[in-house]
Amino acid sequence: MVKRILIGFAALVALGVLGFALLAWRPALDPIDPPAAASFPPELTARGEVLAAGGYCATCHTQKGGKPYAGGYGLPTPFGVIYSTNITPDPDTGIGRWSEAAFARAMHEGVARDGSHLFPAFPFDHFTKLSGDDLEALYAYFMTRAPVKAAPRRNTVPFPFNVRALQAGWKLLFFKKGTYEPDAAKSVEWNRGAYLAEGLSHCGACHTPRNLLGAEKAGDAYGGAIVEGWIAPALTDANPAPVSWAQNELFSYLMSGTSVLHGTAAGSMSEVVHDGLAKLPRSDVNAIAVYFADIDSSSTRMAGFEATVAKAVASSGLGSRQDYGADAHLYLAACGSCHYNRGAMPVAVRPELALNSALTLPEPTNFVKVVLSGIGLKDGMSGVMMPGFAHALSDSDIGRLAAYLRRTRTDLPAWTDLDAKVTAIRKEAAGSQ
Amino acid sequence: MTTFQVNGRTVAVDVAPDTPLLWVLRDEIGLKGTKFGCGIGMCGACTVHVEGRAIRSCITPLDAVAGATVTTIEGLDPDGQHPLQKAWIKTQAPQCGYCQSGQIMQAASMLKDFPDPTDRDIDAVMGGSLCRCMAYIRIRKAIKIAAAEMRGDASNG
Amino acid sequence: MGSVLKPPGHRVPSPLSRRSFLIGAAGTGIVLGFMRPGLAAVDALSTPPDQLFEPTVWYSIGRDGSVTVNIAKAEMGQHIGTALARIVADELEADWERVQLAYVDTDPKWGYMVTGGSWSVSHSFMPLSQAGAAGRIALIEEGAKLLGADREACSARNGMVSAGDQSIAYGDIVARGDLRRVYSADELKQMPIKQPADRRLIGHDTSAIDIPSKTDGSARYGLDAEVEGMIYARPKIPPTRNGSKVLSIDDQAAKTVKGYISSIALEDPSDTVPGWVMVFADSVTAAIRAADKVTVQWQAGDTANVSEQDILDHGGAQIADPKGGSLLVNDDGLEPAFAAAKTTLEQTYTTSSMLHFQLEPVNGLAFEKDGVFEIHTGNQWQSLILPVLAKALGVGQDKIIMRTYLIGGGFGRRLNGDYAVPVALATKAVGKPVKMVCTRADDARFDSFRSPSIQTLRMAFGEGGRVTAMDHHAAAGWPTGVMAPSSMPKGVNGVPYDPFSISGADHWYTVGAQRVRALSNDLANRAFRPGWLRSVGPGWTNWAVESFMDEAAHAAGIDAVAFRLGLLDGTGRNAGTAPFSVGGARRQAAVLKRVAERGGWGSAMPKDTGLGIATTFGQERDMPTWVACVARVRVNRGNGVVTLEKLSLVVDAGSIVHPDGALAQVEGAALWGASMALHEGTEFVKGQVKDTNLDTYTPLRMGDVPEMDIELVESAEMPTGLGEPATTVVGPAIANAIFAAVGARLRHLPMRPPAVLQALSSKS
Repeated sequence: MVKRILIGFAALVALGVLGFALLAWRPALDPIDPPAAASFPPELTARGEVLAAGGYCATCHTQKGGKPYAGGYGLPTPFGVIYSTNITPDPDTGIGRWSEAAFARAMHEGVARDGSHLFPAFPFDHFTKLSGDDLEALYAYFMTRAPVKAAPRRNTVPFPFNVRALQAGWKLLFFKKGTYEPDAAKSVEWNRGAYLAEGLSHCGACHTPRNLLGAEKAGDAYGGAIVEGWIAPALTDANPAPVSWAQNELFSYLMSGTSVLHGTAAGSMSEVVHDGLAKLPRSDVNAIAVYFADIDSSSTRMAGFEATVAKAVASSGLGSRQDYGADAHLYLAACGSCHYNRGAMPVAVRPELALNSALTLPEPTNFVKVVLSGIGLKDGMSGVMMPGFAHALSDSDIGRLAAYLRRTRTDLPAWTDLDAKVTAIRKEAAGSQ
Repeated sequence: MTTFQVNGRTVAVDVAPDTPLLWVLRDEIGLKGTKFGCGIGMCGACTVHVEGRAIRSCITPLDAVAGATVTTIEGLDPDGQHPLQKAWIKTQAPQCGYCQSGQIMQAASMLKDFPDPTDRDIDAVMGGSLCRCMAYIRIRKAIKIAAAEMRGDASNG
Repeated sequence: MGSVLKPPGHRVPSPLSRRSFLIGAAGTGIVLGFMRPGLAAVDALSTPPDQLFEPTVWYSIGRDGSVTVNIAKAEMGQHIGTALARIVADELEADWERVQLAYVDTDPKWGYMVTGGSWSVSHSFMPLSQAGAAGRIALIEEGAKLLGADREACSARNGMVSAGDQSIAYGDIVARGDLRRVYSADELKQMPIKQPADRRLIGHDTSAIDIPSKTDGSARYGLDAEVEGMIYARPKIPPTRNGSKVLSIDDQAAKTVKGYISSIALEDPSDTVPGWVMVFADSVTAAIRAADKVTVQWQAGDTANVSEQDILDHGGAQIADPKGGSLLVNDDGLEPAFAAAKTTLEQTYTTSSMLHFQLEPVNGLAFEKDGVFEIHTGNQWQSLILPVLAKALGVGQDKIIMRTYLIGGGFGRRLNGDYAVPVALATKAVGKPVKMVCTRADDARFDSFRSPSIQTLRMAFGEGGRVTAMDHHAAAGWPTGVMAPSSMPKGVNGVPYDPFSISGADHWYTVGAQRVRALSNDLANRAFRPGWLRSVGPGWTNWAVESFMDEAAHAAGIDAVAFRLGLLDGTGRNAGTAPFSVGGARRQAAVLKRVAERGGWGSAMPKDTGLGIATTFGQERDMPTWVACVARVRVNRGNGVVTLEKLSLVVDAGSIVHPDGALAQVEGAALWGASMALHEGTEFVKGQVKDTNLDTYTPLRMGDVPEMDIELVESAEMPTGLGEPATTVVGPAIANAIFAAVGARLRHLPMRPPAVLQALSSKS
């Protein structure tokens, strides 16, 4: 009896494995001879270039100091480092032998030309929404780049997560294939923004929290997440910025990397703006702003923002006149020269800390990261830089600054364990360099 | 090799890219007017302009200004006759003088944002510039005189 | 020379007056000078042209009529060059527009070289005036000949000698006349100088000659010195200031720093920098980074576990022991007066360690050339460090020359030239020019900071609150005792004392039987190197005296101004003597009355706001600068924050040579007082200062500056000093104002919010 049950169980397992294998199996698509660059119409290639920027393809597919699109950039994930692949048209190490169908399948389904599953570090769950026309343009763009011979680097993802066939199960659970379907109740502009945000620009890849298996949580779209050590804030009405993100502020931020009422893009968001969105047509960036202004319900939350701004700017001079205290003094000496503001509105080139979500997030992560590493001239607001204080201030100093600003610039509860957090963030930042 | 513009000329420097701009300016380029005070960005003696805005050169690595425009006290005005420099002399502001390059560069940057600075503005923005001789009264006065001149307002002077 | 430090100018023959009036002294090898504004600032003036009129070492006149005044004082913000040149030029009747300054290197011909104690103007005034007068007389004599006029008919003015409608410029007289003259020192001393009313430059404002170069980046400080082929060095500072020994150096990790050269332990026969390791590299940055990676094992000195409270406790025990110390004043009848007193008052006051934090960290460049060591660094007291350098290097003093640079903040730090020693030793050790740059933290750890102090004061009151006796005991580290012991004067009991650690306690109040006892805190002296810091001892003695006077007035139920005026009667030893202290305590009473008027003494104050008053005589009894201050403060009872709203000051420093420069000195000195009263201060913890940079050391900044009202008393008396006196009154004035505002008495400097809160809670 027991034996029969065991046999039955074994049969079931075998059937399951077979079934899963069938489910997971994808055919290899035939290699092609690399098409001549001249075979693609220039206007199609040009459109593809804009789309590639809007999808930040270069950000992930180029390693620091490396050739564009030659891959090798390491993306740290909870499962290990996943290195991006070479998407130049090199026939041996790149996608030179990929047909347009193979390219489209990769984008829409997350399957490589040889039939293996791609890890969702590649946001095919967003690119699946792209239209055929856009894929065609992107294909034309990549196939006309200079081929670079660069073999892909080995990922550090351990067994069993490195079994690509298992991605089929992941897809079964979390992946919904299909191009973007417009919402008829919304404006054309809104739908354009949604198409870009959900698809090409894959905003959720950073701003939507992920489950234990690394999939975006379906019920918590844009709820905020941790990405490469930064907090990607919520883009919903849970966003903690003192002034909610109205369409015009979003537009300014996404175009230039800075918003007077919020602050400056840092970390990977700076790359998103300067290497990506800035190259889209203004109308597209505005469409994204329209979409997110709706997502975060800013129209219902903007009331009285002038008072918030006035209060913030009024707090700007705190610490600067016989307001004795060692922490105030630290702020005054290290920060005040650049961050002080007055009047009805902050000065654009003086990021107002009392309005900055780095101080209103539940954790001091972004604040500490910016203090440690600063913001480069080409990052955030172009032409304005902040030097990093990693070699200048101790963990305790940065902890004091964080506590002081949280205490005097917000009404929120104090951050806890600051010194230890600063130490950890410093260590992580040093390790990732 | 890192290339940038300083006081209108292009310089190429072959030192470690994480070398603080301060020491590059002083020892590689020979612009000694920018001073070393605290090394942690809290005294302001090393203040120079990058793209026209005041920054602390002691904590700014060289590679951060690659391709950028840097101005030091020597380049603020070709003849040393910037309204702030004139006002500094008029009020006899400097004592030991060591912090004054930084004070002037910080003030010049401030006047771009606040052309008519209040005492509160000066307290906050100049609070990062330590004058150990404590010539603060005259520095404040000089800033106001220069601001008036730059606004074309002859009444305050 | 050993006694030259002794403060009173008239007791010590000034080095200036000892020299003869020579003709044609050799060219002076000037390294640093200032041309007139408008001309390019010049770093290295070449040797003066051949034909000069150089009647003393202090100035020369060229054929072009330019007057170069040699400045042997350190320029560190007080514009001393301008002030000294004004003194010369006034008597010389020079054209001020043609006067330039030359800051000179060390040379025996300059006499004793020290810049401190607020002495420069006071000590130089007569010799420079007489030198200028001698030159003028010679020029008139020769000018008369060249004009063919009667000498009596000639006068000098503005660089010209005139007779009727004829005139000849000084330059032409230098070129064509025969100016050879020799005056003996005695003759020079007899040289008549102008009546104050005839002065044309002294007492009138001018632009300081050093200022333009400080607005365009061209001014050159020690940090800016460089020489071909130099390497950079940064020290590894040992765990204790004294007695540390290097056991081992591990530089393995430093070898990863590009540009790192080597690390060596310094052998120092002068024992100035025991236990120092120098880390060499080809740039400042590499030296800084390499030093961070060099690990040194030391055997620390025996004070490695000494902390601030240990030092104060030790001082307290010294005070409690009636034996020991030097008595500056020891009147008969003190103990009987206390025994007979109706009431007595006793209080103890303490002060924290204070850093110089001069903005230019100590540094130096040294190299050997033709058997002579050149040390390039800003220094305030060359004559103190030269013999030490000679001992360290094992050469004669004639084989060492100190080149002069502007000082990026002195405040006394560079009176102690200890930082020159490791640079000199390093260049000798490596056989190359060495430039030492200390980081800010290195500078702080190596600072000869102001010692913590503890003082106990007692007062006896007789009938009607009359003061019948006063007793003052002060214990602190003694900078002079450690660095220049042979220059210490002796107390009435024959025991030497450091005037820089007790002056101020020997005040001008008439208090009946008086005793002043100075105690050298030997634990402090061993644990660190106590330094002279702007106003030094008077910074703490007056803090105690003037806080105590307030407490005494309160105890006696008398207004604080009236109480003091009653004691400043100018009788007995407080009558004053010519030339410097003429008028005595009555001049102090005058500034006190004046400041009470200016500061609104007695007027009604808003809630939690109060006025406090204090008065001192500046630095030294023999060279008093009479100062009085009213401070207005507002105290926040909730968080203990004291807001200094206003300072009113009245200063009588005799004749003022350069009024605007004098005002700047008073402004800066007063704000130093405020900073040390409310903002800055550190703590000695296990052999090291706790605060080493601005992240935790918090000196006064722009926004902390109160409204200020300063009056310099018009006076024709001999000039005294101005660099420090105002520092001494502000602290006690603030403490007294806090008491007036909220009734809380603070007896420790600095007065930080937690201490204010504690005083508020304990008073009820």
